[in-house]
Amino acid sequence: MPAAGIHLHARPVLRADEVTKRYSEDGPAALIDVSFEVAEGELLAVVGPSGCGKTTLLRILSGLARPSEGAVLLGGRPVVRPPREVALVFQDYSRSLFPWLTVVRNVMFPLRAADGARADRVVRAEAALAELGLEGVGRKYPWQLSGGMQQRVAIARALVSRPEILLLDEPFASVDALTRVELQDVLLRVHTELEHRLMTIVHVTHDIDEAVYLADRVLVLSPAPGRVVTTVDVKLPRPRAQTATRSSPDFLAVRNEIHDVIAKQQARRSGGE
Amino acid sequence: MTTTAPARVARRLLGPAVFVAALALWQAWAAHKDSFLVPTVTAVAERAWDVWPTSGFIDQVTATLGRFAAGYVLGAAIGVAAGLVLGSSRAARRAFEPLQEFLGSTPAIAIVPAAIVIFGLGDATRVAVIAFAVCFPVLVSTIEGVRAVSPETRDTARMLHVGPAELILRIYAPAALPSIVAGLRVALAIGLIVTVISEFVVGSGDGVGRYILVQRTLYDAPGVYGGILFLGLLGYVLNRLFVVVERRVLSWHYGAAGESAR
Repeated sequence: MPAAGIHLHARPVLRADEVTKRYSEDGPAALIDVSFEVAEGELLAVVGPSGCGKTTLLRILSGLARPSEGAVLLGGRPVVRPPREVALVFQDYSRSLFPWLTVVRNVMFPLRAADGARADRVVRAEAALAELGLEGVGRKYPWQLSGGMQQRVAIARALVSRPEILLLDEPFASVDALTRVELQDVLLRVHTELEHRLMTIVHVTHDIDEAVYLADRVLVLSPAPGRVVTTVDVKLPRPRAQTATRSSPDFLAVRNEIHDVIAKQQARRSGGE
Repeated sequence: MTTTAPARVARRLLGPAVFVAALALWQAWAAHKDSFLVPTVTAVAERAWDVWPTSGFIDQVTATLGRFAAGYVLGAAIGVAAGLVLGSSRAARRAFEPLQEFLGSTPAIAIVPAAIVIFGLGDATRVAVIAFAVCFPVLVSTIEGVRAVSPETRDTARMLHVGPAELILRIYAPAALPSIVAGLRVALAIGLIVTVISEFVVGSGDGVGRYILVQRTLYDAPGVYGGILFLGLLGYVLNRLFVVVERRVLSWHYGAAGESAR
């Protein structure tokens, strides 16, 4: 069982229960027996080498794909299709934002079936954009914004319907290094400040430093087929700050621990073949 | 690349200059030939100047434009609607692809006799034949446009709980719009060609195509060439109008495409 660590007191909202994924009946597995829990308000980072099934895992958590064996439980109920309570931010914002809609219409899209006047929905969308530091860009089209700003729009669209759980699939992998740092802090703000409660977040990344900087707990997957190698608690104080947090001895210790785990995994893999 | 102002002017004038040179060549050839079958440009222009403003000729133009518009809109609507359905359903594609490819490869003009049997010797047949010809390029480009919608866009739609009808109307249709518009543009030229041919081959009736035929029987060469010239201009103007509308409707697409090409 993965260690629940400091979150024993919080109630688990999302649970992966021995999730195995094969893309064909007797083909090789992408994921094997992946089990973990995400506590309410927790920011869980999932790291692993590329091709280890991180994205597959996120697609299963979000209900976009079904596990071959095992189950994903949201509030105790199995996830069989994308649930209302879950929002997903993709790596490739240029394909996930709708290029034919203006920024504000993109953000309003999840509200299209909501009650109330259109004007209210515009206000909610503008508010979601403002929370992510995007003011006065509502009437532009996505392509008129920088990559970092487009990803903020995608996050605003994910948050506008007030999801309980936010899933992010390598959300900062397509932007430059400075923008990545900026967006990491945007995500921390989303986690702690935007609601009266902490937002539950599962953040998939291949960047170990990013995972440690952001997360309460880091789940390490093995090279393909992905299994849970270990989970590492990150007991760094919040609020976190780029320079202070990243230069603290605790940060380096956790980061090195995860590096060693992954290096050992890869050595074993190349030694065994 | 920077260019001087005179160089820019010269480049803009090149196309019109070649056009004028072609007319001059025709004029010289016709003058040299001196046959009543080959009218000079000036003779054609004089006849056009006299005939085009008359209500008789304007009626022919209205008839041609009317049946072209009816056939084009009908064919485009069928092509887009069927293309959206076939593009979004693999089962529908499997069922209808052979039929679609067979009908799409059939020359529109070959269905005229059958259409006459069904719709009679009137405008219903002409409109049906134009719609048939317009439908398939639009259908094919719509299917391609829908199939090219990225998996990320489809996943995004699923995460945002987009229902089946909504998926077609709010995601596939706009996402495929650049491809649909490309098909509509190809169909514009095809539609105009088939409109004139339908006037040649279906019954008597009216239209600019019919006008050309009638002037031929009267050995009115300037009239025949004037009719041809008019159709050429009509096609040119329609194409230009199409481009203007396309630029407006697809401004988001050109912006995004330009950005990624940088």
